Amino acid sequence: MLTKRAALRGVVGFLLALAFWFGFSRTYERVVAGGAQAITNLFESPDVTRLRSEGTHVVVDRRDFPPGSARPGLPAPDIHFNFVLLGALFAMDPRPLRGAHVVRFFAACGVLFGIHVLALVFQVQSVYATNLGAWSEAHYGKIASNFWAAGWHFYLIAGRFAAPFALWWLFGRREEEDSLEKPKRRRRKS
Amino acid sequence: MSDAADSPRRRSVGFLLRFVALLVVFYLIVASGPVNDAVIVPFTAGIASVSAVVLNAFGEGVEVRGTEIRSSSFGVNIENGCNGVETALLFGAAVLAFPASWKRRLLGLGAGFLAIQVLNLFRVVTLFWIGLHRPALFNSSHTVIWQSVVVLFGVLLFLLWASRQRRLSPEAAPAGRERPRRS
Repeated sequence: MLTKRAALRGVVGFLLALAFWFGFSRTYERVVAGGAQAITNLFESPDVTRLRSEGTHVVVDRRDFPPGSARPGLPAPDIHFNFVLLGALFAMDPRPLRGAHVVRFFAACGVLFGIHVLALVFQVQSVYATNLGAWSEAHYGKIASNFWAAGWHFYLIAGRFAAPFALWWLFGRREEEDSLEKPKRRRRKS
Repeated sequence: MSDAADSPRRRSVGFLLRFVALLVVFYLIVASGPVNDAVIVPFTAGIASVSAVVLNAFGEGVEVRGTEIRSSSFGVNIENGCNGVETALLFGAAVLAFPASWKRRLLGLGAGFLAIQVLNLFRVVTLFWIGLHRPALFNSSHTVIWQSVVVLFGVLLFLLWASRQRRLSPEAAPAGRERPRRS
Protein backbone atom coordinates (compact mmCIF):
# COMPACT_ATOMS: atom_id res chain seq x y z
CA MET A 1 0.00 0.00 0.00
CA LEU A 2 1.24 3.51 -0.75
CA THR A 3 1.81 5.42 2.45
CA LYS A 4 3.27 8.87 3.14
CA ARG A 5 6.45 7.23 4.48
CA ALA A 6 6.80 5.11 1.33
CA ALA A 7 6.36 8.20 -0.85
CA LEU A 8 8.96 10.04 1.25
CA ARG A 9 11.40 7.12 0.91
CA GLY A 10 10.71 7.26 -2.85
CA VAL A 11 11.64 10.95 -2.97
CA VAL A 12 14.86 10.33 -1.02
CA GLY A 13 15.64 7.38 -3.31
CA PHE A 14 14.98 9.58 -6.32
CA LEU A 15 17.47 12.20 -5.10
CA LEU A 16 20.13 9.58 -4.28
CA ALA A 17 19.66 7.82 -7.63
CA LEU A 18 19.83 11.19 -9.40
CA ALA A 19 23.13 12.03 -7.68
CA PHE A 20 24.50 8.57 -8.56
CA TRP A 21 23.32 8.96 -12.16
CA PHE A 22 24.98 12.36 -12.54
CA GLY A 23 28.20 10.93 -11.10
CA PHE A 24 28.46 7.75 -13.13
CA SER A 25 26.41 8.21 -16.32
CA ARG A 26 29.45 8.96 -18.53
CA THR A 27 31.20 5.76 -17.39
CA TYR A 28 27.98 3.79 -17.79
CA GLU A 29 27.48 5.11 -21.34
CA ARG A 30 30.82 3.64 -22.37
CA VAL A 31 29.74 0.20 -21.12
CA VAL A 32 26.33 0.45 -22.83
CA ALA A 33 27.98 1.62 -26.07
CA GLY A 34 30.38 -1.36 -25.90
CA GLY A 35 27.51 -3.81 -25.43
CA ALA A 36 25.45 -2.29 -28.26
CA GLN A 37 28.48 -2.30 -30.56
CA ALA A 38 29.13 -5.99 -29.84
CA ILE A 39 25.51 -6.91 -30.67
CA THR A 40 25.44 -4.73 -33.79
CA ASN A 41 28.74 -6.26 -35.00
CA LEU A 42 27.28 -9.76 -34.62
CA PHE A 43 24.92 -9.04 -37.53
CA GLU A 44 27.44 -7.21 -39.74
CA SER A 45 29.90 -8.61 -42.21
CA PRO A 46 32.41 -7.07 -42.08
CA ASP A 47 31.79 -5.56 -38.64
CA VAL A 48 32.05 -1.85 -39.35
CA THR A 49 30.06 -0.15 -36.58
CA ARG A 50 32.04 1.56 -33.85
CA LEU A 51 30.19 3.30 -31.02
CA ARG A 52 32.00 5.64 -28.70
CA SER A 53 30.77 7.78 -25.83
CA GLU A 54 31.62 11.46 -26.25
CA GLY A 55 30.25 13.99 -23.77
CA THR A 56 26.54 13.33 -23.47
CA HIS A 57 26.35 11.59 -26.86
CA VAL A 58 27.11 8.19 -28.33
CA VAL A 59 28.87 8.80 -31.63
CA VAL A 60 28.24 6.33 -34.46
CA ASP A 61 31.49 5.88 -36.35
CA ARG A 62 31.25 3.32 -39.16
CA ARG A 63 34.59 2.33 -40.64
CA ASP A 64 33.08 2.67 -44.12
CA PHE A 65 31.94 6.29 -43.61
CA PRO A 66 33.90 8.63 -45.91
CA PRO A 67 36.80 10.22 -44.03
CA GLY A 68 35.91 13.72 -42.86
CA SER A 69 32.13 13.16 -43.08
CA ALA A 70 29.94 14.03 -40.10
CA ARG A 71 29.34 11.25 -37.57
CA PRO A 72 25.82 10.97 -36.11
CA GLY A 73 25.72 11.73 -32.38
CA LEU A 74 22.91 10.15 -30.36
CA PRO A 75 21.85 11.78 -27.08
CA ALA A 76 22.68 9.16 -24.46
CA PRO A 77 20.67 10.33 -21.40
CA ASP A 78 17.42 9.60 -23.30
CA ILE A 79 18.31 5.92 -23.09
CA HIS A 80 19.35 5.41 -19.51
CA PHE A 81 18.03 8.19 -17.26
CA ASN A 82 15.20 5.82 -16.28
CA PHE A 83 17.64 4.28 -13.80
CA VAL A 84 16.61 7.18 -11.54
CA LEU A 85 12.99 5.97 -11.63
CA LEU A 86 14.05 2.41 -10.79
CA GLY A 87 16.04 3.67 -7.80
CA ALA A 88 13.11 5.74 -6.53
CA LEU A 89 10.65 2.86 -6.83
CA PHE A 90 12.91 0.37 -5.05
CA ALA A 91 13.54 2.92 -2.27
CA MET A 92 9.81 2.89 -1.40
CA ASP A 93 10.14 -0.52 0.26
CA PRO A 94 9.61 -0.42 4.07
CA ARG A 95 13.16 -1.82 4.47
CA PRO A 96 15.00 -0.76 1.33
CA LEU A 97 18.45 -1.77 2.60
CA ARG A 98 17.42 -5.33 3.53
CA GLY A 99 19.79 -7.84 1.89
CA ALA A 100 17.22 -9.66 -0.27
CA HIS A 101 15.74 -6.37 -1.47
CA VAL A 102 19.16 -5.03 -2.45
CA VAL A 103 19.87 -8.26 -4.35
CA ARG A 104 16.56 -7.88 -6.22
CA PHE A 105 17.45 -4.25 -6.96
CA PHE A 106 20.75 -5.33 -8.52
CA ALA A 107 18.94 -8.02 -10.52
CA ALA A 108 16.53 -5.37 -11.83
CA CYS A 109 19.52 -3.11 -12.64
CA GLY A 110 21.04 -6.00 -14.62
CA VAL A 111 17.87 -6.40 -16.69
CA LEU A 112 17.64 -2.63 -17.15
CA PHE A 113 21.23 -2.62 -18.45
CA GLY A 114 20.18 -5.22 -21.06
CA ILE A 115 17.24 -2.99 -22.02
CA HIS A 116 19.57 0.02 -22.40
CA VAL A 117 21.90 -1.96 -24.67
CA LEU A 118 18.98 -3.14 -26.82
CA ALA A 119 17.54 0.38 -26.94
CA LEU A 120 20.86 1.71 -28.25
CA VAL A 121 20.97 -1.08 -30.85
CA PHE A 122 17.49 -0.02 -31.99
CA GLN A 123 18.52 3.65 -32.05
CA VAL A 124 21.62 2.94 -34.15
CA GLN A 125 19.68 0.72 -36.56
CA SER A 126 16.96 3.38 -36.75
CA VAL A 127 19.60 5.94 -37.79
CA TYR A 128 21.01 3.51 -40.38
CA ALA A 129 17.52 2.71 -41.71
CA THR A 130 16.05 6.21 -41.93
CA ASN A 131 18.67 8.96 -41.67
CA LEU A 132 21.33 8.15 -44.26
CA GLY A 133 19.39 8.95 -47.44
CA ALA A 134 20.16 6.78 -50.45
CA TRP A 135 22.39 4.48 -48.39
CA SER A 136 19.45 3.73 -46.04
CA GLU A 137 17.15 2.98 -48.98
CA ALA A 138 19.72 0.69 -50.55
CA HIS A 139 20.36 -1.34 -47.40
CA TYR A 140 17.00 -1.38 -45.58
CA GLY A 141 13.61 -2.42 -46.96
CA LYS A 142 10.38 -0.76 -45.91
CA ILE A 143 9.53 -3.39 -43.29
CA ALA A 144 13.01 -3.30 -41.78
CA SER A 145 12.99 0.52 -41.67
CA ASN A 146 9.61 0.57 -39.93
CA PHE A 147 10.64 -2.15 -37.49
CA TRP A 148 13.77 -0.34 -36.27
CA ALA A 149 12.24 3.14 -36.31
CA ALA A 150 9.02 2.08 -34.56
CA GLY A 151 10.97 0.04 -32.01
CA TRP A 152 13.10 3.05 -31.10
CA HIS A 153 10.08 5.39 -31.08
CA PHE A 154 8.18 3.00 -28.80
CA TYR A 155 11.09 3.03 -26.38
CA LEU A 156 11.17 6.86 -26.45
CA ILE A 157 7.44 7.35 -25.92
CA ALA A 158 6.49 4.46 -23.65
CA GLY A 159 9.17 1.82 -23.13
CA ARG A 160 11.74 3.83 -21.22
CA PHE A 161 9.13 4.88 -18.67
CA ALA A 162 7.39 1.51 -18.46
CA ALA A 163 10.60 -0.52 -18.05
CA PRO A 164 11.50 0.65 -14.51
CA PHE A 165 7.89 0.27 -13.38
CA ALA A 166 7.63 -3.26 -14.83
CA LEU A 167 10.98 -4.28 -13.32
CA TRP A 168 10.02 -2.91 -9.92
CA TRP A 169 6.66 -4.68 -10.17
CA LEU A 170 8.41 -7.98 -10.92
CA PHE A 171 11.44 -7.71 -8.63
CA GLY A 172 10.83 -5.14 -5.93
CA ARG A 173 7.18 -4.87 -4.99
CA ARG A 174 5.96 -6.72 -1.90
CA GLU A 175 3.04 -5.03 -0.25
CA GLU A 176 0.57 -4.70 -3.08
CA GLU A 177 0.44 -8.41 -3.97
CA ASP A 178 -2.82 -9.04 -2.18
CA SER A 179 -4.50 -5.96 -3.65
CA LEU A 180 -4.63 -7.77 -6.98
CA GLU A 181 -7.62 -9.77 -5.79
CA LYS A 182 -10.31 -9.76 -8.41
CA PRO A 183 -13.31 -7.68 -7.30
CA LYS A 184 -15.90 -10.19 -6.15
CA ARG A 185 -19.58 -9.80 -6.80
CA ARG A 186 -21.94 -9.72 -3.86
CA ARG A 187 -23.95 -12.90 -3.74
CA ARG A 188 -27.67 -12.47 -3.48
CA LYS A 189 -29.60 -14.59 -1.05
CA SER A 190 -32.41 -16.45 -2.70
CA MET B 1 -8.99 -23.10 -10.98
CA SER B 2 -6.25 -24.49 -8.73
CA ASP B 3 -4.81 -22.58 -5.79
CA ALA B 4 -1.43 -22.39 -7.53
CA ALA B 5 -2.99 -20.98 -10.67
CA ASP B 6 -4.71 -18.28 -8.64
CA SER B 7 -1.60 -17.37 -6.62
CA PRO B 8 -0.64 -13.72 -6.04
CA ARG B 9 2.46 -14.24 -8.17
CA ARG B 10 0.36 -15.41 -11.10
CA ARG B 11 -2.05 -12.50 -10.72
CA SER B 12 0.91 -10.16 -10.49
CA VAL B 13 2.40 -11.47 -13.74
CA GLY B 14 -1.07 -11.36 -15.31
CA PHE B 15 -1.34 -7.67 -14.39
CA LEU B 16 2.06 -7.01 -15.94
CA LEU B 17 1.16 -8.78 -19.19
CA ARG B 18 -2.12 -6.85 -19.46
CA PHE B 19 -0.23 -3.63 -18.68
CA VAL B 20 2.36 -4.21 -21.42
CA ALA B 21 -0.29 -5.26 -23.97
CA LEU B 22 -2.39 -2.15 -23.23
CA LEU B 23 0.69 0.06 -23.42
CA VAL B 24 1.53 -1.29 -26.89
CA VAL B 25 -2.07 -0.77 -28.05
CA PHE B 26 -2.13 2.80 -26.67
CA TYR B 27 1.22 3.52 -28.28
CA LEU B 28 0.00 2.29 -31.67
CA ILE B 29 -3.07 4.52 -31.34
CA VAL B 30 -1.26 7.74 -30.38
CA ALA B 31 1.62 7.13 -32.80
CA SER B 32 -0.69 6.69 -35.79
CA GLY B 33 -0.67 9.69 -38.12
CA PRO B 34 -4.39 10.57 -38.03
CA VAL B 35 -4.63 10.43 -34.21
CA ASN B 36 -1.40 12.38 -33.86
CA ASP B 37 -2.63 15.10 -36.23
CA ALA B 38 -6.23 15.28 -35.01
CA VAL B 39 -5.75 14.80 -31.25
CA ILE B 40 -2.16 14.92 -29.99
CA VAL B 41 -0.94 18.00 -31.88
CA PRO B 42 -4.01 20.17 -31.03
CA PHE B 43 -3.82 18.94 -27.43
CA THR B 44 -0.13 19.88 -27.27
CA ALA B 45 -0.94 23.28 -28.80
CA GLY B 46 -3.52 23.70 -26.01
CA ILE B 47 -0.81 23.01 -23.41
CA ALA B 48 1.39 25.63 -25.10
CA SER B 49 -1.45 28.18 -24.99
CA VAL B 50 -2.26 27.60 -21.31
CA SER B 51 1.47 27.69 -20.43
CA ALA B 52 1.78 31.01 -22.27
CA VAL B 53 -1.13 32.44 -20.28
CA VAL B 54 0.61 31.45 -17.04
CA LEU B 55 4.00 32.77 -18.22
CA ASN B 56 2.47 36.07 -19.32
CA ALA B 57 0.73 36.38 -15.96
CA PHE B 58 4.25 36.39 -14.49
CA GLY B 59 5.31 39.07 -16.96
CA GLU B 60 7.49 36.94 -19.26
CA GLY B 61 5.95 38.34 -22.46
CA VAL B 62 5.72 35.16 -24.57
CA GLU B 63 3.94 34.30 -27.80
CA VAL B 64 2.53 30.98 -28.97
CA ARG B 65 2.65 29.58 -32.48
CA GLY B 66 1.16 26.08 -32.64
CA THR B 67 3.13 23.98 -30.17
CA GLU B 68 5.92 26.55 -29.83
CA ILE B 69 6.32 29.09 -27.02
CA ARG B 70 8.67 31.93 -27.78
CA SER B 71 9.92 35.08 -26.10
CA SER B 72 12.37 37.62 -27.49
CA SER B 73 15.37 35.60 -26.30
CA PHE B 74 14.25 31.99 -25.83
CA GLY B 75 11.85 29.47 -27.35
CA VAL B 76 10.72 25.89 -26.84
CA ASN B 77 8.73 23.53 -29.00
CA ILE B 78 6.58 21.12 -26.98
CA GLU B 79 6.94 17.70 -28.59
CA ASN B 80 5.71 14.19 -27.86
CA GLY B 81 7.36 13.15 -24.65
CA CYS B 82 6.92 16.65 -23.21
CA ASN B 83 3.12 16.89 -23.31
CA GLY B 84 2.36 14.51 -20.44
CA VAL B 85 0.73 12.04 -22.83
CA GLU B 86 3.43 9.39 -22.26
CA THR B 87 2.84 9.46 -18.50
CA ALA B 88 -0.93 9.40 -19.09
CA LEU B 89 -0.46 6.30 -21.30
CA LEU B 90 1.52 4.58 -18.56
CA PHE B 91 -1.03 5.52 -15.91
CA GLY B 92 -3.99 4.55 -18.13
CA ALA B 93 -2.50 1.15 -19.02
CA ALA B 94 -1.83 0.40 -15.34
CA VAL B 95 -5.32 1.46 -14.19
CA LEU B 96 -7.07 -0.54 -16.91
CA ALA B 97 -4.89 -3.60 -16.27
CA PHE B 98 -5.67 -3.55 -12.55
CA PRO B 99 -8.71 -5.51 -11.33
CA ALA B 100 -11.36 -2.96 -10.31
CA SER B 101 -14.88 -1.98 -11.30
CA TRP B 102 -15.27 0.08 -14.46
CA LYS B 103 -16.71 3.00 -12.48
CA ARG B 104 -13.59 3.17 -10.28
CA ARG B 105 -11.34 2.78 -13.29
CA LEU B 106 -13.02 5.67 -15.13
CA LEU B 107 -12.89 7.88 -12.04
CA GLY B 108 -9.21 7.02 -11.59
CA LEU B 109 -8.44 7.70 -15.24
CA GLY B 110 -10.17 11.10 -15.20
CA ALA B 111 -8.65 12.31 -11.93
CA GLY B 112 -5.21 10.90 -12.77
CA PHE B 113 -5.11 12.43 -16.24
CA LEU B 114 -6.07 15.81 -14.79
CA ALA B 115 -3.44 15.62 -12.03
CA ILE B 116 -0.72 14.56 -14.50
CA GLN B 117 -1.58 17.44 -16.82
CA VAL B 118 -1.54 19.99 -13.99
CA LEU B 119 1.95 18.82 -12.99
CA ASN B 120 3.06 18.80 -16.62
CA LEU B 121 1.82 22.36 -17.06
CA PHE B 122 3.93 23.36 -14.05
CA ARG B 123 6.84 21.52 -15.68
CA VAL B 124 6.50 23.36 -19.02
CA VAL B 125 6.25 26.73 -17.28
CA THR B 126 9.27 26.11 -15.02
CA LEU B 127 11.34 24.69 -17.90
CA PHE B 128 10.66 27.79 -19.96
CA TRP B 129 11.64 29.95 -17.01
CA ILE B 130 14.85 27.89 -16.52
CA GLY B 131 15.66 28.15 -20.23
CA LEU B 132 15.17 31.89 -20.10
CA HIS B 133 16.97 32.68 -16.85
CA ARG B 134 19.26 29.66 -16.18
CA PRO B 135 20.03 28.21 -19.63
CA ALA B 136 22.95 26.11 -18.35
CA LEU B 137 20.50 24.03 -16.31
CA PHE B 138 17.95 23.54 -19.09
CA ASN B 139 19.14 20.24 -20.62
CA SER B 140 19.48 18.27 -17.42
CA SER B 141 16.26 19.74 -16.02
CA HIS B 142 14.40 18.91 -19.22
CA THR B 143 15.60 15.37 -19.92
CA VAL B 144 16.41 13.87 -16.58
CA ILE B 145 14.82 15.68 -13.68
CA TRP B 146 11.41 16.83 -14.85
CA GLN B 147 10.72 13.81 -17.05
CA SER B 148 11.53 11.47 -14.17
CA VAL B 149 9.46 13.53 -11.74
CA VAL B 150 6.36 13.47 -13.96
CA VAL B 151 6.61 9.72 -14.60
CA LEU B 152 7.28 8.99 -10.93
CA PHE B 153 4.25 11.11 -10.08
CA GLY B 154 2.16 9.00 -12.51
CA VAL B 155 3.38 5.77 -10.90
CA LEU B 156 2.67 7.08 -7.39
CA LEU B 157 -0.81 8.15 -8.49
CA PHE B 158 -1.46 4.65 -9.77
CA LEU B 159 -0.23 3.08 -6.51
CA LEU B 160 -2.42 5.45 -4.52
CA TRP B 161 -5.43 4.57 -6.66
CA ALA B 162 -4.64 0.84 -6.47
CA SER B 163 -4.30 0.91 -2.69
CA ARG B 164 -7.68 2.67 -2.46
CA GLN B 165 -9.26 -0.14 -4.48
CA ARG B 166 -8.34 -2.57 -1.74
CA ARG B 167 -9.71 -0.33 0.98
CA LEU B 168 -12.92 0.44 -0.90
CA SER B 169 -13.62 -3.18 -1.82
CA PRO B 170 -15.72 -4.52 1.11
CA GLU B 171 -15.60 -8.07 -0.19
CA ALA B 172 -11.85 -8.38 -0.70
CA ALA B 173 -10.52 -11.38 1.17
CA PRO B 174 -8.11 -10.62 4.02
CA ALA B 175 -4.50 -10.88 2.92
CA GLY B 176 -3.15 -14.41 2.94
CA ARG B 177 -6.46 -16.09 3.70
CA GLU B 178 -8.64 -18.26 1.52
CA ARG B 179 -12.36 -17.92 1.69
CA PRO B 180 -14.14 -21.15 2.50
CA ARG B 181 -15.74 -22.55 -0.62
CA ARG B 182 -19.30 -23.70 -0.68
CA SER B 183 -20.04 -26.87 -2.47
